[in-house]
Amino acid sequence: MNRASISAEDKITTSQAAVIIINYTLGSGVLTLPRTTVEAAQTPDVWLSIIISGIIVTAAGLIVVLLCRRFQGKTLFQFVPEITGKWLAWILSFTVITVFLVISAVQIRVMAEVTGFYLLDGTPVWAIVMSFMWIGLYLTLGGINCMARIYELILPITLIFFLISFLLSTKIFNIDYLRPVLGSGIMPVLRGIKPALFPFTGYEIMLIATAYMKMPKKAVKAVLAGTTVPLFIYLVTIIMVIGGLSIYGVQTRTWPSLDLLRSFEMEGLIFERFESLLLVIWIMQIFSTFTVTHYAASLGWSQLFNKSLKPFLFAMLPVIFLIAMVPKNVLEVFKLGDIVGNISIFLFGGVPLLLLLISMVRKKGGNPN
Amino acid sequence: MWSVILSYIPKWTILVQALLLVVIPLLLMALFGWIRKAIISGYALHPNQASPPIKEDSSESGPLTGRYDTDLSSVRAAIGYNADVRVREFTIRGTENRAAIVYVDGLSDVDIIDTHLITPLMIHGIPDTDQETALRSSDSLQKYIANRLLPVSKLNETSKLQELTRSVLIGQTALLVEGIQGVFLIGAAQGKVRNVEEPLSEALLRGPRIGFTEKLEDNMGLLRMQGQNESLIMSQFEVGNRVKKNMIVAYMQDIADPRLVDEVHSRIQRIDIDDPLESGYIEQLIEDNILSPFPQLQNTERPDRVIASLLEGRVAILLDGTPFALILPTTFSMLLQSPEDYYERWIPGSFVRILRFLAAMLALLAPALYISFISFHPGLIPTKLALSIIETRQGVPFPSIIEALIMEISIEILREAGIRLPKPIGPAMGIVGGLIIGDAAVNAGIVSPFLVIVVAVTAISSFTIPVYSAGITLRILRFAAMLIAGALGIYGVIMFFLLICCHLVRLKSFGVPYLNPLIPYRIIDWKDILIRAPLKVMKKRPYMLRPNDADRRN
Repeated sequence: MNRASISAEDKITTSQAAVIIINYTLGSGVLTLPRTTVEAAQTPDVWLSIIISGIIVTAAGLIVVLLCRRFQGKTLFQFVPEITGKWLAWILSFTVITVFLVISAVQIRVMAEVTGFYLLDGTPVWAIVMSFMWIGLYLTLGGINCMARIYELILPITLIFFLISFLLSTKIFNIDYLRPVLGSGIMPVLRGIKPALFPFTGYEIMLIATAYMKMPKKAVKAVLAGTTVPLFIYLVTIIMVIGGLSIYGVQTRTWPSLDLLRSFEMEGLIFERFESLLLVIWIMQIFSTFTVTHYAASLGWSQLFNKSLKPFLFAMLPVIFLIAMVPKNVLEVFKLGDIVGNISIFLFGGVPLLLLLISMVRKKGGNPN
Repeated sequence: MWSVILSYIPKWTILVQALLLVVIPLLLMALFGWIRKAIISGYALHPNQASPPIKEDSSESGPLTGRYDTDLSSVRAAIGYNADVRVREFTIRGTENRAAIVYVDGLSDVDIIDTHLITPLMIHGIPDTDQETALRSSDSLQKYIANRLLPVSKLNETSKLQELTRSVLIGQTALLVEGIQGVFLIGAAQGKVRNVEEPLSEALLRGPRIGFTEKLEDNMGLLRMQGQNESLIMSQFEVGNRVKKNMIVAYMQDIADPRLVDEVHSRIQRIDIDDPLESGYIEQLIEDNILSPFPQLQNTERPDRVIASLLEGRVAILLDGTPFALILPTTFSMLLQSPEDYYERWIPGSFVRILRFLAAMLALLAPALYISFISFHPGLIPTKLALSIIETRQGVPFPSIIEALIMEISIEILREAGIRLPKPIGPAMGIVGGLIIGDAAVNAGIVSPFLVIVVAVTAISSFTIPVYSAGITLRILRFAAMLIAGALGIYGVIMFFLLICCHLVRLKSFGVPYLNPLIPYRIIDWKDILIRAPLKVMKKRPYMLRPNDADRRN
């Protein structure tokens, strides 16, 4: 039982892969999802949009897995050169890394904004962000297995608190806010799909995580589980928020999910207000999204240059911080999030399919079986 | 256009912060690396210079000559100046061979010397009929005495002076006989030992009331008695460069992972210290992470606990001279398990265990949560409660962090004092300290009564943790949690929680991740964490230890 050999065995199980996807997907999206979708669709039927985008995302995730299984034990950054040639691969990898970095930065900034607004009024942003990022660094230095473990630890805690606080909001739930179903036809529902896709970004981590799986054959299972749980969470969120605040109330609020919990009080419980409680718990989810993207971006650099990972983990911290500090206010943060969301839909939805087709035509990579 | 781009270029403060963001962890990592290196190099670990289980001494003092007078005087010269070394000379009856007994007063059993050494030699001696065969040569005399005249079970022979002196000093009796080349070493130490008692630090309501003692042989016997099983292996090692102590590594041959056992052996052989006074020395010298606040080996005084761990595939270490055995690898869930959980029926066992988890969380976080609720988020708790707390805090001149620190530090002092106090005074001081100081502090307006409740609950909660060293860990971490809560409120508490979790997932004990079997998810191993499933359900040994024989029923 050599210590070195154990740590070199940095593999993850199927359930760990699923948990990584879930934790990456569930990030700051929950806090804003009802507003973004309702703004686009203008109808309470957005829960249908959520279901449709969930299905789309599952399909995209399956494509990613099919692609990765052709190149066992290799991450995106390692197998793309085999498919497209060196230069195109560099451009593609660079774009992917940038997207990861920006997603990471947006998570950090959103966390800093909500924490500053709801929890720590007047505390300087750097104090909030730095402690957060340092702990993230401590985790990512431990490798992907450690990360998977901590997500497994966080996931049940966050989900339980999330469900409890949202189910408590049945107190102000009004089914009429959700009716009539399809009252304005199917078109608004389709318009809501695009914003609903943003918070589902998460399956793309399989481009990297598949390489670390003990049993890559079960990656499909991991993707299915990894998209079903967020789909369920988002459905609960959107139904409870719209049922509690109505679509008009949703659009006027920056953080509708937190405002829903703010708008009722429970007496006779230890906690009266649940928005801060949920936020505090949800910080852990944002933490996991941040660490996954931070790790993925650093891993990308290290594999592009074929150098060890550690220096890049350090080097990416100030980069993410600077990107996070670029937007001047919350609206610009959301704008940045939208831009990166748009890019990521094409990058992680379209490009893997292209890569898969090219690799099949050029007969690159092994047979998935 | 340019002005827009320029407006997005970060200010110099942001740039400095970005720089700090990467410089500070680098410095911290260098610092920790340096500390770790300094600790390890100061200890001078010689990885390849393994000390074999039993060291053969090629001593500078040569073999015994076989001439009685020379040998006796060299023995006297070597150890005779010690006040407690006794030499008794006499003549063996029947022959005129002189003999001498060398022993240490207080260590050797004088009764055995009188009845089993001196009596046969002086009173019975060698009868005339056997004289011829016995006195033919040195060897035949030696054989005759060993076979006919020494009715003791522990009998060794040596011809080295060094071994003789060492054996005498650890309690054996040496017998020198004129005309014999070698020397007899008889018996073993019979120093005073404590009786087997109920373990003081791990009292149970239900379960065997038996604990280890300071004597290794007794402890091995207790272990054998508890686990009557032929696959229980106890291999002996000798540790300590100056003071040699015997150490036992115990495991179940057909259960424990052989790689684990090998790892334990190799780490033990690297131990380099003059005298391991207690098993705590061993623990600190073979643990994985020297800078972690969490105990990576569990200590226990209970043989039943050791046997239960061995049956799971763990390894135990017993050291001579201490009642504390070590169990490894240790995982987090073990720190909150008590043998009683298994002796009671499963429903009460599970209930008590859940209670203990809750208590551990309280012991860790209660004061930190108090600080963050009072100082940062009074809106989180019910309004009436917040109002009444704020009302009682009216006269308190300190911020809640100082207030909580005052109370926590005084209660830690009280607890530490409670251990040192003589038994008759202890309870009285507890009352004076706890009740009177607490009450007076509230009346004097230094702390709020609500805080006294929090502190008291915290202190009591930390006593529910069945492993004392785990309790200390929580006490240390509690102060860290309070400080960070004082700085960042409940956000800080969450960051602290994440940090502890990050540390725990990175920590390993002898190759086994510390948070196993909680994570990674293996439903089959969850039967023994939060709840204690019925014994009929727990058919499998924990997977994390990679047992050779996974079925618990075998």
